[in-house]
Amino acid sequence: MTVLRWLLGRLAAAALVAWVVATVVFFALRAAGGDPSEAILGGPGSQASEEAMARVRAEYALDEPLVVQYLLQLARTVTFQLGDSYARRRPVAELVGDQLGGTFALAALGLLLAWLLALAVATAAVRARGPVARQAVGLLRAGEVVASVTPHFWLGAVLIAVFAGGVGWLPATSSDNSLRSLLLPAITLAVPVAGFLGQVMRDGLEEAHTAPFATTARTRGASEGWVLWRHSLRHAALPAIALSGWAFGSLLSGAVVVETLFGRPGLGRLLVDATHSRDVPLVIGVVLVIALGYVAVMTVADVLERVLDPRLRERVEAVGTPGGEVVA
Amino acid sequence: MAAVRLFALPARGGTRLVAGAAALTLALAACSNGGGDTAGGGAPVEGGTLVYATGDAEPTCLDPHVGGNYPQALISTQYLEPLVGRDADGEIQPWLATDWKVSDDGLTWDLTLAEGITFTDGTPLDAEAVKVNIEHLQDPDTASSTGWLAVQKIAEVEPVDETHVRFHLSEPDSALLESLSMQWAAMQSPAGIARGMEENCAAPIGTGPFVVSDWVPQQHVILERNEDYSTPGPQAENDGPAHLERIEWRFLPDPATRWAALQSGEVHVIDNPEPEAIIAAEAGGEFTHIDAPRPGSVNRIELNSAQAPFDDVRVRQAFVYSADVDPGIETLYQGVATRSHSPLSSVEPMAYSDPSLFVTDLEEAGRLLDEAGWSEVDDEGYRVRDGERLTVRFPVSTNQSVAAEQSLFEQIQANTRQVGFEVVLTPLDLSAWYGALAAPEDGGENQYEAVSAPYTKVGPDVLRILYHSDSTVPAPSGYFANLSQVTDDELDALLEEAARSTDPEQRAELYTEVQKRVLEGYYILPLYDQQNHFLTRGVTDVRTLGTVSTPTFVDARLTS
Amino acid sequence: MTQVLALAARRRDAARAAASRWLRTLGPGGAVSAAVVVLVLVAALWPTLLAPGDPTAVVPAQAYTPPSPAAVLGTDASGRDVYTRVVHGAGQSLGVGAAATAIGLSLGVVLGFGAALGPRRLDAVLSRVVEVLFALPSLVLALLLVAVLGAGVGPSVVAVGLATAPGYARILRARARAVVQSPYVRAARLEGVSAPVAFVRHVVPNTVWPLIAVATLGVGQAIVWVSALSYLGLGALPPSPEWGAMLNAGRLHITTAWWLTVAPGLAITVTAAALTFLGRRLNAVAPA
Repeated sequence: MTVLRWLLGRLAAAALVAWVVATVVFFALRAAGGDPSEAILGGPGSQASEEAMARVRAEYALDEPLVVQYLLQLARTVTFQLGDSYARRRPVAELVGDQLGGTFALAALGLLLAWLLALAVATAAVRARGPVARQAVGLLRAGEVVASVTPHFWLGAVLIAVFAGGVGWLPATSSDNSLRSLLLPAITLAVPVAGFLGQVMRDGLEEAHTAPFATTARTRGASEGWVLWRHSLRHAALPAIALSGWAFGSLLSGAVVVETLFGRPGLGRLLVDATHSRDVPLVIGVVLVIALGYVAVMTVADVLERVLDPRLRERVEAVGTPGGEVVA
Repeated sequence: MAAVRLFALPARGGTRLVAGAAALTLALAACSNGGGDTAGGGAPVEGGTLVYATGDAEPTCLDPHVGGNYPQALISTQYLEPLVGRDADGEIQPWLATDWKVSDDGLTWDLTLAEGITFTDGTPLDAEAVKVNIEHLQDPDTASSTGWLAVQKIAEVEPVDETHVRFHLSEPDSALLESLSMQWAAMQSPAGIARGMEENCAAPIGTGPFVVSDWVPQQHVILERNEDYSTPGPQAENDGPAHLERIEWRFLPDPATRWAALQSGEVHVIDNPEPEAIIAAEAGGEFTHIDAPRPGSVNRIELNSAQAPFDDVRVRQAFVYSADVDPGIETLYQGVATRSHSPLSSVEPMAYSDPSLFVTDLEEAGRLLDEAGWSEVDDEGYRVRDGERLTVRFPVSTNQSVAAEQSLFEQIQANTRQVGFEVVLTPLDLSAWYGALAAPEDGGENQYEAVSAPYTKVGPDVLRILYHSDSTVPAPSGYFANLSQVTDDELDALLEEAARSTDPEQRAELYTEVQKRVLEGYYILPLYDQQNHFLTRGVTDVRTLGTVSTPTFVDARLTS
Repeated sequence: MTQVLALAARRRDAARAAASRWLRTLGPGGAVSAAVVVLVLVAALWPTLLAPGDPTAVVPAQAYTPPSPAAVLGTDASGRDVYTRVVHGAGQSLGVGAAATAIGLSLGVVLGFGAALGPRRLDAVLSRVVEVLFALPSLVLALLLVAVLGAGVGPSVVAVGLATAPGYARILRARARAVVQSPYVRAARLEGVSAPVAFVRHVVPNTVWPLIAVATLGVGQAIVWVSALSYLGLGALPPSPEWGAMLNAGRLHITTAWWLTVAPGLAITVTAAALTFLGRRLNAVAPA
């Protein structure tokens, strides 16, 4: 019963998101100025003739009052009729679908790398013994903070200059989803998120590692590794899983910059182009997909959390950050 | 200094890490120049795929009849060809049309087409096909802007027989062939056009050395060799099909990434390189630098003479005298761009130049402003008159102005400040920029006093588009081309006479007179040619069209 | 007389004791971070104190000169002194971070307190609002806003503020609820203390401190965000020396004029890092 209610609640949340997205985008792009009929006829400065614009206005109902147009757009959105892109004259669903895979692969690899990096650093920090190791841990802690505020466009430029333009090991740009092509952009995305996840994980690990359960296990002869694996990591993982929800959102934000920088096709670049040409249906389509994807990931994170330990939910909320995301 | 000492404190592991990382990065980056792949220049080979990375925006439609911007010209050069071409001296050369004749009154043009040409879908290129193309350009549904302007004066197209077509003009147009030589008026298969806009935008059918085979938006356009190619233009050496098997056309907006991709061998040709990349390329052995300024206008700053403060020529002159752009151009472009003192591009044989008008003289500028009534100065050092500040609103297009150019505008802002101008630079994306320039619907004041808006057109007729008073009349979208708002009856008369004239010498004289008037009126501050550089690596025999200066790969071969 | 002196001496000792207590609480890392933040604040408010030159003075002849005694951080494409520009840019960057955080905080306070202290229904509604705001990734929101409002620092600030608000709201709500449900407050209410008084006396002091700590983190993030918008060409107007814009411009010369990226990059990183460190220290010592 509760599962059903929860599921319905989630669906309602998704519907709410879709509605808000459509509304915000519609009014935002209208307020942005520029004649929509111009956007339809091939962008600004198109010098379209009077007749052509008149025809477009009739076809797209642009002479109706704004509210009517909004309701029409809303009706189209909730029935998932995403329509045709103004500038590209192709179905929005097709354009978005083409780019979905690329961005998804990038974000997924970015999240994976961020997790691995954060986990490695957090584990190393906790297991460090001796003064030299402690110093190194201090450096790592500082490194985490620095990483979490590193701007994508700068890090990416450095990576390109060194690994592509310089030694030539990895490509500066690519459009497929092979590991080699995804590596540099994924690292660029991962570093700031890793910085943040690492801080959170280390806090959790340190706390768990010195908790009574751990001490008891050690006096019973359990090895450090076993304690780490069986006990501490679960505790460290929980806040990180909760944060992975909005980490995904931050990765999508970062993708906007990273895709432009590395010349990769994807939703981020599509969105920037569509915003520049005031292409309302395309912007709505992209933002909708992003927002719904985010809701889906949050749901998965939610489920994982409840599976692992519902007791820690309250605490997780308290250690969240103001931005809710790490975007650099 | 406190700041320096603090950063050196050992207690901050963070700073040490950052310093270390920065040092490592710089060390690695310093080794970067000259590294990378070997094999830049070997023997040319047949076949292969050339990868072209463009920094220009991805076209929304591959048919240059629709809209008509430079990215479309770049890519359509590979698969569409115009009726005529142009050589390096600016002379019109035969291409798809082999001969032409104009009547004495200038209202009738007879063109002879080359025999037996077909488009890649088998449709013949005959007079009927030319008619269909011209009508396509003039059809409002096509929403053509550049191509439409080119054929504006053609009232009717009459197919006389298979290879002879007659144009009936509404007015004499001495620039007709120049207009028809542009990529935006190129010839397409009528059957292709008949498929409808959506299909034709995805893959237009022409006579060019390559054919559009696939377009994945934001990723690439794939062009395959046209095995039946038989229409080499004036710049081609090869008679038959191209050497290359395929071209992969990619879209890379970031200039640093494009350059890195060229260095590492991922791409063979890039456009819009930064000045630094050009310098580095010319120093290294394996790169080739192609400098092909676009035809038509130069990059210039247009001063809005329709409203205050630039409605007074003395204020315009003061601005020009205080801008002092030469040192900036020299350092920002590092010698890659040459200062221009003409309204026309240096590839136009009829370009007239007068450097004496564009000196730097701050004292004279101050005196002119005093004379024009701007003699008071407010607390911040800007001049005022009747309570109004000497403000110059300057919307800057971040899409069209490269980083160096935006820095140059910042320098102009600082330089003109010395005599009391307040220049307000506003970076805008393309839509917003057009919006700032558009004529207000209620007929009120414009929102700009200065702007840089390059215009590409083949031939000196561009002066008519840019400086004739008719061009201050806005299109339905609010767009108009005469942004300096020159409304000079004598200038109009000169331009109209030049358009009617069929004598090349008389045309040259008239256009020289026009350019003199434009320069002496201080309506514009010419900067440099429209920069159009290409860097190549691993490919030879890349040439540019004598018309719109786009690269053509008809003779290109990859080097092993 | 001796009484006055003794009083003064006691006061001075008390102050010293408080100061050393503070320093011990902050720890060496926190102290240094605080010092850095103070320095950046000075640069923001009185830039001429640290850099008397003109950040917009164009000298084309001296373009692209590497760091030297005359110009400790070198010069940029127009011959402007990079050190002076970095110092004068502090005001913009810090101002942007602070303004965005202020917007986010205000909105977060309304949403968070409203959800925690209001009726159940309000909580449900506001929580949904927060969720939806979360779902729009920040840069996406920023792009939209900039499309509407135009480029420039103002719209970027609003966008970043809106994007950070849900985070603050979440934290505030959790904290406020915890306090409201604590036995201490319950007891006070039972004794007849009115709701508003309880709010002021109990809820506010116990939520403000962690919020301040978290806000310092937010300022750091906001600075970096706005620099990303500058990269996309939607940020500060020229010739203002905003760090992000400087970093983006310098990026194109990364191999030939390295000082153009290192200087603003370090400024952004060190400021944001110091703010983060300070925030974490404050959070750690906040009364639980």
